[in-house]
Amino acid sequence: MSKCTKRKLRGRLWTTTKGIPMHLIVDGKPIDIEADPEMPLLWALRDLAGKTGPKFGCGIAACGACTVHMDGTPVRSCILPLREVQGEITTIEGISTDGKLHPVQQAWLEEQVAQCGYCQAGQIMSAVALLDEIDNPSDEDIDNAMGGNLCRCGTYPRIRAAIKKAAALKTAGI
Amino acid sequence: MRAFIVIATSAIMVFAMATWVLAQETQTPATVDAAAGLPEWEKIYAVFSHPRCANCHVEDDHPRWSGAHYGKTRFHAFNVQRGIDGSGLGNPGLRCMTCHFETNSAVLHGPPGAENWHLAPAEMVWFGKSSGEICAQIKDPARNGGRTLAEVAEHVRSDKLVGWGWSPGPGREPAPGSAEETYQAIEKWAAAGAPCP
Repeated sequence: MSKCTKRKLRGRLWTTTKGIPMHLIVDGKPIDIEADPEMPLLWALRDLAGKTGPKFGCGIAACGACTVHMDGTPVRSCILPLREVQGEITTIEGISTDGKLHPVQQAWLEEQVAQCGYCQAGQIMSAVALLDEIDNPSDEDIDNAMGGNLCRCGTYPRIRAAIKKAAALKTAGI
Repeated sequence: MRAFIVIATSAIMVFAMATWVLAQETQTPATVDAAAGLPEWEKIYAVFSHPRCANCHVEDDHPRWSGAHYGKTRFHAFNVQRGIDGSGLGNPGLRCMTCHFETNSAVLHGPPGAENWHLAPAEMVWFGKSSGEICAQIKDPARNGGRTLAEVAEHVRSDKLVGWGWSPGPGREPAPGSAEETYQAIEKWAAAGAPCP
């Protein structure tokens, strides 16, 4: 990277010009970066890979806004150091296929879930992970899966409704 | 043919019983030296009952949080639970390894980390249990993962997640002593007949 980018994480600066070469697969595409191995994945995604869908919220895995998948498992990218990244990364920008929204995204639209929207990328990624394992989740399943994704606008009832709608859409093959 | 099956079955049962008895004998030597063993057990109990260990050795589905920043001990936030499959790895959509990676977060209140982060099986409960109860559990192969005491000692010395208890990251009090010291204490306690208080 020729451009020197600095971002602050709770007092730490990440300088992208002092990195080592790394190879990531993000949303199905190979990406070569140079970065400090201690840099959290979120910084690499947003500043180096141009994936600004995942959001910075708390920086300590306490809000879920930064959630992405690593080989299908949801992870909080704000505290996952690059040296521990093993596997393919999927962001909110990589879950639609051939221009068609993922059933969770479609349900989110139909239920008009978002208010400010800041946390929704993380919410959707956790919901996708839930539906990958449980086809028809109960209220309890949803509460268990989504407890780590906070929404200060309080859209939780619509999130629950959208997950149930997404389950129905997915089952119907829509 | 039927007689052969009966004889063979009996032989297998006798062999299995002998193996079980032998296994029990390896857990507890014939002689018990309480004077030598109990001080070693106290060192072990200090580790097993410490929050860095006991907070994830719970009987229910909720890992605990505790420490200077938390006031009293509380449930892990975010509705984190053992997991509907009983695996101890969390629930679909919110696995332990969603936040707990292989190393500690360097940030205060960031998630601690070690390989294979998970809750201990419910039968290995230490949280809220007395010294005598934990002592009985750790000697019971049905509740200690099928281990001999030598295997328990080795597990304590070599397992990466157990070892995390002595290097828990910023802002957390480590378990007393070290993995090696606890290994030595278990060996001495076992050699003394593994007495319980």
